[in-house]
Amino acid sequence: MTDGMPSTRRASGQWWLVAVAWTLVGVPLLWGVWDTLTKASALFR
Amino acid sequence: MAGLLSRERIVAGPDFNRWLVPPAALAIHLSIGMAYGFSVFWLPLSRAIGITKSVPCPASMGFFQSLVATDCDWKISTLGWMFTLFFVVLGSSAAMFGRWLEHAGPRKAGVVAAFCWSGGFLISALGVQLHQIWLLWLGSGVVGGCGLGLGYISPVSTLIKWFPDRRGLATGMAIMGFGGGAMIGAPLADILMKHFATPTSVGVKETFITMGIIYFVAMMAGAFGYRVPPPGWSPALGVPRHRALTTEHAALRRPMITGRHVHVDVASKTPQFWLLWAVLWLNVSAGIGVIGMASPMIQEVFGGRLIHMAGVPLRELTDAQKAQLATIGAAFAALLSLFNIGGRIGWATLSDYIGRKTTYFVFFALGIVLYASAPQAGRAGHVAVFAILFCIIISMYGGGFSTIPAYLADIFGTQFVGAIHGRILTAWSAAGILGPVLVNYIREYQIDRGIPPAQAYNVTMYVLVGLLVVGLFCNLAVRPVDERYYMSDEELAREQEALTVAAKR
Repeated sequence: MTDGMPSTRRASGQWWLVAVAWTLVGVPLLWGVWDTLTKASALFR
Repeated sequence: MAGLLSRERIVAGPDFNRWLVPPAALAIHLSIGMAYGFSVFWLPLSRAIGITKSVPCPASMGFFQSLVATDCDWKISTLGWMFTLFFVVLGSSAAMFGRWLEHAGPRKAGVVAAFCWSGGFLISALGVQLHQIWLLWLGSGVVGGCGLGLGYISPVSTLIKWFPDRRGLATGMAIMGFGGGAMIGAPLADILMKHFATPTSVGVKETFITMGIIYFVAMMAGAFGYRVPPPGWSPALGVPRHRALTTEHAALRRPMITGRHVHVDVASKTPQFWLLWAVLWLNVSAGIGVIGMASPMIQEVFGGRLIHMAGVPLRELTDAQKAQLATIGAAFAALLSLFNIGGRIGWATLSDYIGRKTTYFVFFALGIVLYASAPQAGRAGHVAVFAILFCIIISMYGGGFSTIPAYLADIFGTQFVGAIHGRILTAWSAAGILGPVLVNYIREYQIDRGIPPAQAYNVTMYVLVGLLVVGLFCNLAVRPVDERYYMSDEELAREQEALTVAAKR
């Protein structure tokens, strides 16, 4: 038996889980990008 | 536990969505990417004893004595060796453990990487507590460096197998995380150090422990999120028809994409391996030298012009004006880091459409023009043009990292791409030595000969152009692998059988 157990759902399912996973990595990444953009903005002042 | 980590355990079920693999890979790459941000610890660590100011070691103290001395502070140059160790050990461990990874599977490799990277932080925290620099080198540099190597290559093979139709995009998403890790880690470390600092501590030890725990959780979540596609899986049913390219379909359409496989031990005997090694080495050497010198370079080249005092060189500015320039230098470095991560995803994705060889041709050809134009932009005082030139250059530096796994898969097949990628990363280690040495030493040599600092980078740029010209020819020489190097069907079947046996362990 595997962690990714077969189920009756269609092959391209689990989109809610995809959204959760991307949010978990996306939020810190966006925070980092925002922080860097704030620092970089000094170049244009 | 062993069963939980085995490759057999992580074969995806029919309901698995392949878009869950890139965030798992990102969780690991964003964690290990903090390696780029370690310089945030240098200043606080350089006054770990003195707290408010650094306590220098006596001039009479020998090198080995200074390694174990507990009553004087470390020099920044001594701490900087951790950075060198990171990238040397990254390349070496990726080369050594790549083959093991192919058999052990990405989850086991991800878990080992989590233990090494986080364990490195904890050993370093002990080093700060005992004030032993060698413990920091061993912890973050060597043990953490092994975590870097394993973590870096852990998702590559899996992503390429899940996305045979979008290899560049898939590996670009993960490797973008390595470029972005410092964007999260460095400000986080800064916040934590301020939080933990007391009149008797600079707060680095507590920050190391906290970050070690955070990265352990993130990396374990990523490792446990990995799934490998079941044998014979194809994206054909899950994506639109025009994208439904299996490796074999792609091979039929593009001669530079093979549908066969080269064994990892044979790959390094082919000219293609060494040409691609040189391609990566030269592209990274050029970029890495610039990335390390970005902040002082823009200040020295433009001096007072950056604060509307055109014609006033850096040395004639007041301390307050130099502080303004330093802020602008840091802003320039921050802007470059954004283009570094943007290039990782952008160029790798573009390579899915124009091909890997063409993408690298653009890196070298455009790079030659841009590096050669930089001195002229500096002389003419065009700050914006100068900044744009280097933003594009750094995007291609990032793009080189994220495009190489797909290039390797195209040339050598997907069976051993993780292990081959691991071996080719030794080029990164070599570039980590060549690039900064070239830029720093040529600059110093020029200044020693009386060249004004504003012009001290011109020769460097032309030397880097020379590297890119060599890289351009190496890339042009890349052809499909000779027939005799491919694995036969029997050899492939034996290897896949061995994989199945290993997976059940």
